[in-house]
Amino acid sequence: MATLVLDNGANTAKIGFSHEAVRVISNCQFRSKTSRLKTFTANQLDEIKDPSGLFYILPFQKGYLVNWDVQRKVWDHLFGKEMFKVDFTDTSILITEPYFNFTSIQESMNEILFEEYQFQSALRTNAGSLSAHHYFHTRPSELCCLLVDSGFSFTHIVPYCRSRKMKEGVRRINVGGKLLTNHLKEIISYRQLHVMDETHVINQVKEDVCYVSQNFCKDMEVAQNKAEENTVMVDYVLPDFSSIKKGFCKPREEMMFTGKYKTGEQILRLVNERFAVPEMLFHPSDIGIQEMGIPEAVVHSIQSLPEEMQPHFYQNIVLTGGNTLFPGYRQRLEAELRSLVPAHLPVSVLQPADPICYSWEGGKLLAHNPDYDEMVVTREDYEEHGHCVCEDKFDL
Amino acid sequence: MVLEKKTSARVEGQRRVLDEATRQRRLTRQLDALEKDNFQDDPLSSLPPPGPTARLPAFSENEEPEKKRRKTRGDHFKQRFRKNFTTLLEEENLSEKPEPNYLSAAAPVSSLPPRHFCCVCGFPSHYTCTTCGGRYCSSKCLCTHRETRCLKWTL
Ligand SMILES: [Zn+2]
Ligand SMILES: [Zn+2]
Repeated sequence: MATLVLDNGANTAKIGFSHEAVRVISNCQFRSKTSRLKTFTANQLDEIKDPSGLFYILPFQKGYLVNWDVQRKVWDHLFGKEMFKVDFTDTSILITEPYFNFTSIQESMNEILFEEYQFQSALRTNAGSLSAHHYFHTRPSELCCLLVDSGFSFTHIVPYCRSRKMKEGVRRINVGGKLLTNHLKEIISYRQLHVMDETHVINQVKEDVCYVSQNFCKDMEVAQNKAEENTVMVDYVLPDFSSIKKGFCKPREEMMFTGKYKTGEQILRLVNERFAVPEMLFHPSDIGIQEMGIPEAVVHSIQSLPEEMQPHFYQNIVLTGGNTLFPGYRQRLEAELRSLVPAHLPVSVLQPADPICYSWEGGKLLAHNPDYDEMVVTREDYEEHGHCVCEDKFDL
Repeated sequence: MVLEKKTSARVEGQRRVLDEATRQRRLTRQLDALEKDNFQDDPLSSLPPPGPTARLPAFSENEEPEKKRRKTRGDHFKQRFRKNFTTLLEEENLSEKPEPNYLSAAAPVSSLPPRHFCCVCGFPSHYTCTTCGGRYCSSKCLCTHRETRCLKWTL
């Protein structure tokens, strides 16, 4: 029997059989201005030659699965003959869902997996539980770890003591990659060019130019300098999807500090946007979200846990999710924690090589664990006992 | 001198000042916008009325006759129209459920002092617009702010 591991994120699905490699695929549908009648599903996005003005149809809202018809279209495509060719009667699915998932969504999930697709068995869990499994697998001597999972919809801080999730320590900050991209769209649209319809393009701008500042006040000063002195300033050449397929930053030596470029390219000039946007992860109150930033929330979480365990959490902080990839993210978090945590306690923040697929890899390890068969609910179990058996067995 | 002062006071008096509730509503609307999936119209909906071959996918009552064969299909298709995040959250009735839960897990308010940035240029700001409470850093930015956003976006 095969096991399909699916870390079902609100932006991308991380999917693959446990004996194969992972693939990262958009977990949504799209419509494009150029072929308006067609709805593109998941990786069919690659067929769209001009993704400007791309229209998104997402199965998730605020991090929770609400649009089942969209989700099923994506899954039909992923499980189907074009992609993973799943033989449901001979396949177990290991699938993730958000922390504190709503009861009704959990029940819909059981029905879809067992009744609609008819998987042979299923294990529903949180992405964090798989990340923790991954971490303890690579560091068997550690007892605790604290995950900082910063994804598309939000950021979660989740403590694990071995395989046990310590629910009382979970903290959610309502800042994720989607908010950052929308915020960047908003300020660029106000300051220089209307890009509100260009989520796809501006998300790429965000990934290409944004970084987490190590000294916010100083970067703000540098960003106010004129011309050559302004080392924060970059000029980003937007793609036109004919001669320029992908946007890029003008090399510093080609930048025109005064006057206009004569090349006819469409340029965005980015200055304080580069670090003020990811700053929302550290200071959500900068845009009026009255919540702690990540460093403060990490301390808040750990302080709610048994005192004798606290030093272990500070030493085993693991970063997952796409926002981890902002340059400087790990260093800033470690430095801020260092200043918040009593000096005698060591602080260590680990950034895995692939923070996006870290939990999927943990799922892959779990699928090969000898205990895996005892952790799943089989379709037979479900048909006999219904939702109760899932509720009892899955730690969600 | 006295005359001048009077004039400016009169102008100040005439300028509309947004009350706290309006300012709060405005902030909520700005934050809600940051959750939006799209700002443009669905390209499909901007097409001329579809002909017989170009029907919109229908998730309507047509599903009903199939109900006997498999119960869940139609249910889930319809759920899409019935239940958004807010509805689902309300149905969970979390205020009466034991903690920790979705609501109790929200990170509390920061204990750090708030920082202020110019709503025009994004640099640190020291001044507050008396009309709307927005922040600005210089008279140049205040001017832009008044011309563009100050009293727009209000209900
Ligand atoms: Zn300003
Ligand atoms: Zn104003």
